[in-house]
Amino acid sequence: MAELEGDRVAEIEIETHIDPAGTCIVTLAGELDTSNVASLEATMASITQQSPPRLIFDLGDLRFMDSAGIAVLLNAASTSSSVQLRDPSPIVQRVLEVTGLTGVLPTES
Amino acid sequence: MVEPGEAIQQLASTPPMPPGTWRWRPSGAATVALLIGATVTVILALTVLKLYDSNESRLLRLRGRELSSVLSAAVPSIQTPLASAAELADATGGSPQKFRAFMAPYVGPGRQFASASLWPLGSAHPAPTTVAGATPVLASLPEQARQLFAAAKHGTQLNITGILGSAKPSLGYEYATPGSTHGFAAYAETALPTDRRSRIASSSAFSDLNYVLYLGSSHSPKDLLLTSLRDFPVKGRQASDVVPFGDSKFTLVVTPRGTLSGSFFRSLPWIVALVGALITLAAALMTGRLARRRAQAEQLARDRDRVASENRAMYTEQRSIAETLQHALLPETLPDLKGVEISALYVPAASALEVGGDWYDIVAAGEDRALMMIGDVSGHGLRAATTMASLRHAALAYAVQDHSPATVLAKLSDFVNSTAHNYFATMLCVLVDVQARRLTVASAGHLAPLLLDGENGHFVPFDVGVPIGVPRNSPYREASVPVAPRSTLIAFTDGLVERRGEALDAGLSRLHDIATSQQLSLEEMVKKLAEGLASHDHHDDTAILGIRWRS
Repeated sequence: MAELEGDRVAEIEIETHIDPAGTCIVTLAGELDTSNVASLEATMASITQQSPPRLIFDLGDLRFMDSAGIAVLLNAASTSSSVQLRDPSPIVQRVLEVTGLTGVLPTES
Repeated sequence: MVEPGEAIQQLASTPPMPPGTWRWRPSGAATVALLIGATVTVILALTVLKLYDSNESRLLRLRGRELSSVLSAAVPSIQTPLASAAELADATGGSPQKFRAFMAPYVGPGRQFASASLWPLGSAHPAPTTVAGATPVLASLPEQARQLFAAAKHGTQLNITGILGSAKPSLGYEYATPGSTHGFAAYAETALPTDRRSRIASSSAFSDLNYVLYLGSSHSPKDLLLTSLRDFPVKGRQASDVVPFGDSKFTLVVTPRGTLSGSFFRSLPWIVALVGALITLAAALMTGRLARRRAQAEQLARDRDRVASENRAMYTEQRSIAETLQHALLPETLPDLKGVEISALYVPAASALEVGGDWYDIVAAGEDRALMMIGDVSGHGLRAATTMASLRHAALAYAVQDHSPATVLAKLSDFVNSTAHNYFATMLCVLVDVQARRLTVASAGHLAPLLLDGENGHFVPFDVGVPIGVPRNSPYREASVPVAPRSTLIAFTDGLVERRGEALDAGLSRLHDIATSQQLSLEEMVKKLAEGLASHDHHDDTAILGIRWRS
């Protein structure tokens, strides 16, 4: 009955921080995929209620992201006027490239 | 079918009875334990009782013999003074003074004899010549006296006579010197209580016994000498012994006054019975309890097995529903296209009970061309599946109107963006020109397909556009790619190559290696690519669509 217990859940740490300028910085560390994307969705739901003028995803310690993770970032981009990514790893950067999203989810310069 | 929650509630609603409302309902095992315990207890108690009984009897016999020896030991204390007195009379010619002087310490109230006298032997009518103490009762019984002294003539021992029928019951002792025919016999009497009752002092070594003493070997009341009992005959446990006494004998019957083994041993059978009964009861209770516990445990195990098997059945059913729905949303058959072979496969996520959002389609566009589409809606579940279904049908409609991949994607993108939505979908659109051996490719965020030419393979290069559902600033771009004879094109969704903790390129090169490693039929190749997933707990569903030129 191992199937009922589901996948091994990937480990993700989520931290949110709002700087004095009102920019919301969401720091993700670990792996983000279907198995744990719900926890990020819950965090994002409470953040978008506050409508921060600027949203930054700090992906410096995010080792892996699949299409489910991209969906959350895209939903955030559709509700906030400015969404940027900070320091994405090559693995994450590659996922953004093949899905044609480098323009929609730009990396902070 | 019973809901698992309901089944668990059923389990929870039949707990063992709370303490305090405990009631005795003997189970079969408890009854058996009770019967065995009771039987063993009764047998033990009876055995102990029998042991006690035989021990009492043995002790009584021993005590009776002890008392007999005490009686036998009294003979010399009677015979010695009488023998001395008889010899003295023979030597002194029957001197009354000498006889009285000698016997004085033995005769009188509280002493050994009530009366002592000298009788000349050989007389036909014996009568005493000298008397010390009371007049002998024998003097008034001439016949008994004649018999006694006639026998004494030849006697070498103490002769006993009982004068029991008289108003003054007595026991008489006679002794004559052996061989003396004209000498004297010494005679003494001891008075017996008229009711024959004589208690044993409580300080005596025999205070635990009652006794009855008869003259001779008789048990007849007329021969009774002494007894400590009030009632006759002796009832209950008794031991009897015959004690030689002079020329006669006594019969001694003893009976215990209480218990000889001690009161503990008398109570032992009852103690055994009581303890046995208590142990039996405790064992029965314990057995009953254990039997009940076991029954409860077995019931729990059965319930648990039932719930588990129901869960299994439900899981299988749900999974089967999900797969049925998914396949219903995918094309039942693929079009036959002259000059190419087509094969497709959908693999649901290993863990998911839900339907996924992957789909594929092939639409014939005239005789020589076909539009291949493959896509992946973000998320899982019924919502992703219904979104997928609407996107698929919209894409089919646009594909029928216009065969340009970029136009199909653009129209689909505009259609989705015209309404509020919270999903996106990647999609690859390929126009396959079979005769011209050319592909026209456009991608909305979708992974590039693998193009195989024998042992060489590469991912088709193109400018990728944003996924369907993402606001779009630029048009989708098409790439035109020539195809070598007998080439194979493999389009797929990200479930095939994405592995947690691994770069996307690693998955892509694994796919490339598997696809180029062996010469396989298209169907076998698609299956082999999907088999690579089976060894992993792939968390995403996967679609694979292949097309191969026959020449």
